[in-house]
Amino acid sequence: MNTRKKVLIIDDDNDFCIATKLILEKGGYEVFIAEDGKIGVEVAKSVSPDLAIVDMMMETWSEGFNVVAKLRGSDATKDIKLIMLSAVDLHGPYDEPSMPPEGAPRVDMVLAKPIKAPDLINYIGNLIGK
Amino acid sequence: MIMSFKEKPECILIIDDEESIRDGCRQALTKCGYEVITAKDGDEGIKLARQRQPHMAFVDLKMPGMYGLEVMDIISRDIPDIILVVITGYASIVSAVEAMKKGAYDYLPKPFIPDQIRAVAQRGLEHRELKIEARKLREEKDLYEKGFITFVSHEMRSPLVTVLQYVETIKMLCGNSLDPEVMKIIERCSFRLKNLEDLISHWLDISRVENGNFSKNITPLDLHTVITSAIDDLMPLCEKRGLTVESIIPQSLPPVLGDEESLLRVFINVIGNAVKYTPSGGKITIKASAEEYYVLASISDTGIGIPADKLPFIFEPFFRVKGKEERYRGSGLGLTFCKKIMDAHHGEIEASSQEGVGTTFILKFPR
Repeated sequence: MNTRKKVLIIDDDNDFCIATKLILEKGGYEVFIAEDGKIGVEVAKSVSPDLAIVDMMMETWSEGFNVVAKLRGSDATKDIKLIMLSAVDLHGPYDEPSMPPEGAPRVDMVLAKPIKAPDLINYIGNLIGK
Repeated sequence: MIMSFKEKPECILIIDDEESIRDGCRQALTKCGYEVITAKDGDEGIKLARQRQPHMAFVDLKMPGMYGLEVMDIISRDIPDIILVVITGYASIVSAVEAMKKGAYDYLPKPFIPDQIRAVAQRGLEHRELKIEARKLREEKDLYEKGFITFVSHEMRSPLVTVLQYVETIKMLCGNSLDPEVMKIIERCSFRLKNLEDLISHWLDISRVENGNFSKNITPLDLHTVITSAIDDLMPLCEKRGLTVESIIPQSLPPVLGDEESLLRVFINVIGNAVKYTPSGGKITIKASAEEYYVLASISDTGIGIPADKLPFIFEPFFRVKGKEERYRGSGLGLTFCKKIMDAHHGEIEASSQEGVGTTFILKFPR
């Protein structure tokens, strides 16, 4: 029986997905990939992952927030742990477009790309366990 | 002159040590519906300007105590939209021209008749309206450019970030089984890519400052807090490098108007440089103090110093002192960023240095 925890990566950068998938598989997770927000929401419904990693800027600047809102808004997916990833420098003081819109549903964690492999494994371990 | 359509009468400040001039101006201008406030010297004028935020000020160039040009500097710094007009005696027409070069809108030679001052006031206030309108248009354009910067940031960082993630993946998947020479190459790749990432971040920071995109985050700040959190940030590195850090900052510094996040970055940059360029066992001293119109912070180190002939260029983008070891290499934009941020705060940053002895940076904030 397969008891590995499931992680879904929603990101339109296919290379980033592959890299992250390899890291997470090495870390003992079962990994699914979705190349845009719409597919991501569908996959989340069908595979019920324990955690989803969502890129903030996909087709549009705030696509990531739409995905989060949809996942949080549906009973089937509302309890999935969520990590939001951004390639825009999150430490910059003036980056309004990277700030979540007012009233946006909470994610469990926001991380900047790139992310160190051991760190990613640790964060995910803390959120959903091995 | 019809002023009734204005919600509030425009406020005009007169700073002149001669009572007759103050009274004359008041009478001439009140008649047209302006609100007139007067001060007899520079200090009183600055105080009144800060309280009342006038639309326009007439400043006598020659007064006892503070020099008129300095008063104008401070007032225009406090109230960016203000229109300044110099009142001057016939003999000092040269200094009036000097004042106009420095941003005064017009000058009024003594003696003058009521019609003259009214004409200057009306023209000045009209100019002010246009100035404000132009600024609004500029702000709109900046907003658009800001979106563009964020877009470029994303487009430039995305491929870089993905390559870095692949490098991470290689290390994770087969780090232990790789030949040490190959591992070294991978580490070098990481290092160079990280430098490029820093470079992009710094370039973006500077673009954003040039667009003036943080002006709305300006709040009164306690420099003590900002400096302390910059020191906290760098403490682990100082300990690792065996450096002593001494900070002499009074608890009761007057507040400085600024954007907290960017000033924190300025201090982290400058103190970080001190850490970087000071050999083990050295000392970094951070002081702050208040003067009448400025709050000062200084960061001194006992580091390798900057050659005198290079010192004038250290704030230039991509300027690096040649011959330094690679571990000293940064993006070449750190101090450029600091300078831009200080400029945007109407402050100053300057450095003095002696090779082999140490460097001191002084940051000057208006208060």
